[in-house]
Amino acid sequence: MFKRNWLLSLLLVLTVVLTACGGPTTQAPSAETPSAGQEGEAPPPAETAKAVVHFGWLGKPDTLNPAYAFLTESYVIFDLVYTPVTTESPTGEYVGGVAKSWTPSEDGLTWTITLKEGIKWHTGEDFKASDMVWAINAIMENPDGWAALSSYVAGFKEVKALDDKTIEITLEQPIGNMEYRLSFLYAVYPKDFEQFKTPEDLQNFNNFDIVGTGPFKINSFDKDKGILVLDANKDYFDGSPKIDQVIFQTFDNADAMVQALKVGDIDMTYEVPQSAFETIKGFEDVNAVSIPGRYFTEMVINSVPADHDPAPTGNPALADPQVRLALTTAINKKDLVEIVMQGLAITGDTIVPPTLGGGFWHSPNIKDVEFSIDQANKILDEAGYMLGSDGVRTKDDLRLEFRLQFPSDNPIYPRMADLMTGWFKEAGIKTTPEAVDPDSLTVAMTPAGDYDLVLWGWGPDPDPDFILSVMTTDQFVDGGWSDSGYSNPEYDNLYLQQQITVDKTERQKIIWQMQEMVYNDRPYVVLFYENLLQSYRSDRFKGFIESPLGIESVISMLQVEPIK
Amino acid sequence: MNRRDYLIRKLLLSLVTVLIVVGINFLLFRVLPGDPVRAVIGRNVRISFETQAALRAQFGLDKPVFPDQFLDTLGQWGRGNLGVSWSQRRPVSEILLSKLGNTIVLIGLGQILSIVFGVILGLLAGWKRKTVIDIGALTFSLIAWAIPTFWLGIILLAAGSTWLGLPTGGIVSPDNAGKPLYEVLPDVAHHLILPTLTLTILYLGEYMLIMRSSILEVLSEDYILTAKAKGLSYWQVLWRHALKNAMLPIVTLIALNLGFTVSGAIYVETVFSYDGLGKLFQTALIKQDYPLLQGAFLLLAVSVIIANMLADILYTYLDPRVKTI
Repeated sequence: MFKRNWLLSLLLVLTVVLTACGGPTTQAPSAETPSAGQEGEAPPPAETAKAVVHFGWLGKPDTLNPAYAFLTESYVIFDLVYTPVTTESPTGEYVGGVAKSWTPSEDGLTWTITLKEGIKWHTGEDFKASDMVWAINAIMENPDGWAALSSYVAGFKEVKALDDKTIEITLEQPIGNMEYRLSFLYAVYPKDFEQFKTPEDLQNFNNFDIVGTGPFKINSFDKDKGILVLDANKDYFDGSPKIDQVIFQTFDNADAMVQALKVGDIDMTYEVPQSAFETIKGFEDVNAVSIPGRYFTEMVINSVPADHDPAPTGNPALADPQVRLALTTAINKKDLVEIVMQGLAITGDTIVPPTLGGGFWHSPNIKDVEFSIDQANKILDEAGYMLGSDGVRTKDDLRLEFRLQFPSDNPIYPRMADLMTGWFKEAGIKTTPEAVDPDSLTVAMTPAGDYDLVLWGWGPDPDPDFILSVMTTDQFVDGGWSDSGYSNPEYDNLYLQQQITVDKTERQKIIWQMQEMVYNDRPYVVLFYENLLQSYRSDRFKGFIESPLGIESVISMLQVEPIK
Repeated sequence: MNRRDYLIRKLLLSLVTVLIVVGINFLLFRVLPGDPVRAVIGRNVRISFETQAALRAQFGLDKPVFPDQFLDTLGQWGRGNLGVSWSQRRPVSEILLSKLGNTIVLIGLGQILSIVFGVILGLLAGWKRKTVIDIGALTFSLIAWAIPTFWLGIILLAAGSTWLGLPTGGIVSPDNAGKPLYEVLPDVAHHLILPTLTLTILYLGEYMLIMRSSILEVLSEDYILTAKAKGLSYWQVLWRHALKNAMLPIVTLIALNLGFTVSGAIYVETVFSYDGLGKLFQTALIKQDYPLLQGAFLLLAVSVIIANMLADILYTYLDPRVKTI
């Protein structure tokens, strides 16, 4: 009796367990079958009839309203759906968007813009000069509402249409980077925007039914699901795209996206994590692309003037140019590139990366100091910093012991800090690496000046104006972009001067000079320029243009075509 | 004290807790370093100081935190309005609702499966103590409990997408975007398999271990011996006498876990690019989006409190001692 019951119970439990265990396994195929059937039925017509590029990315547009769009992803979509007045070419020059030509007057105060022929809105209506004028005026009249774009019209006095094809922009003073500014002035569809009167109403508008004149038009954007579908605009005035649709899919995790590329769920991605690059290179039918990029990584040296209010708390020894030189000499930039960046970067020198303007703006006159621990020791010996018994150099009250902080959200910084601390130690400089939450670090740096050395990076605009502004005195205030606290009246003057210099060669001369100043004064020691890492499947589409603009640029997406 | 008084007291306590949480949430986010306007616009974007100031005024950040900002927030909530997210520019309640369903489906499925399997495994192991079944189940549960979420998710994702053709992320295939839900239901289920499996494995170990130790403890009680002595079968002993008492710790655990269901599973949602609340909490924090953060944490607090209340109510049925306290 006992035994039989025992067996029976075991049998019962086993049955329960087995049926329960069977749950997911039977569920899996049953869930899979209909969808597999669906994949077997739905996509073939979709795939044979339609050439659909699946685009994977790690973000999604914050909005499709250019008045309040701050994420790169939004601008990728704007470039494909809208057309700006001008647009950057892969070689760094500006070419026409909706504009056929754009010429300044002799005094640089008036720009005449002639529009291309045959431009139509996605609705089928004709695009007129008055539409473009409306778009620019809207920003000028409501700069707080058009928060994301208002800086591009700063200094515009009047914009008017001379006829259906000609626009005239009058300026308060000449603008040196007008072509670049024009590349952010999009032809937005007036009917979408004219109803919003207050900045808040305008900013709350998501514009998910975005209407433009560009080579792609919106099909749908489901922001929650992270799926954005663009259809080709076969009536695009500069030649129709060779594909039918682009579907953008958001991944929250880079490894998952790499896996999606491997199994073919996506065809392209414009942001490959550095750690995955070698792996992707080994995938079948996948091209991994490494292109010199715009991002640079620097070591910030506290340069806040001692009389600044609030008073900086950085080590005063950092004010000594010889200490700065020694620090720079003791950094092996090549090793940082090879070891930390796995060769996917190039060593840096100035704050204007060589990719801006196709190399036009990067100063060729800088001869970077060579890495040498011996030389660093010699510089400090000569400057009177004597090695103490604890291996740290001192001179009077000054002791070469620094905090070496970095934002905690990027894995490359701790590795860099470790290497650098080792080199500095050999030169008698003690640094203590410390990861800090990026927000806290920002607060500590600007305008408190409460730091010694910081590792961080920038992704400059295509035009050097922005990155040059980061070094101006005016920016070292709450809400400003300067973190080094660098203050040099001569530099500030040159900055203002390059802003109003329309002649490109003249402006280039000034900008070279500014870079050299920053290089020699070393508020930043630029360590390296990161490469742009991208990837696409080579078995389905061809024609991707590999340039600093990325394979997702308009020019590239217009060339992409299906294989067979 | 009878059951009604007990419940009324619990309800009042819960309300007080919600109020305290609201206050703490309000202050907590404002203590964080950094500037919400800067967090929303990000680094590398040029915006004039005037426009930054205009945004700050629009968000009400130009006023003192206390009492102005606090009273504004309370007043808004009093009118049943959670405000508009600064980074997403959508009503907070709309954002929360759009994610809530997804999260409940995912975590709910994962929880139910792990509870069922965890309890059965735990029972089996406790009952067949020191046999192969026990050791096997114990080892499996300890490993499952100890595995880092992120790692397990990635491994299952790589294996599932490579060998079974399962999707690499999302809630629905991009090609099916915009279609009505009933049409894409199989596709949605397809997308749920891997994240659910991950969650099930992760939670299962905890349930199994608690169930096992609980049943072992109960089985050593005198009344079990009495029951056995009466000549009842093992199955009857287990079902009628042991299980109900052994379930008490599990009920607590379920209640706690279900409460946190709403906070989502940040790791699992991130690995599988699943559009849920966990991921939302994370981005809201990075963007220092106060209205969104406050709304999200209110939802979290309320659901944890409700889950605990439910557990308390359930206790009054499972354990007669409770209502006499």
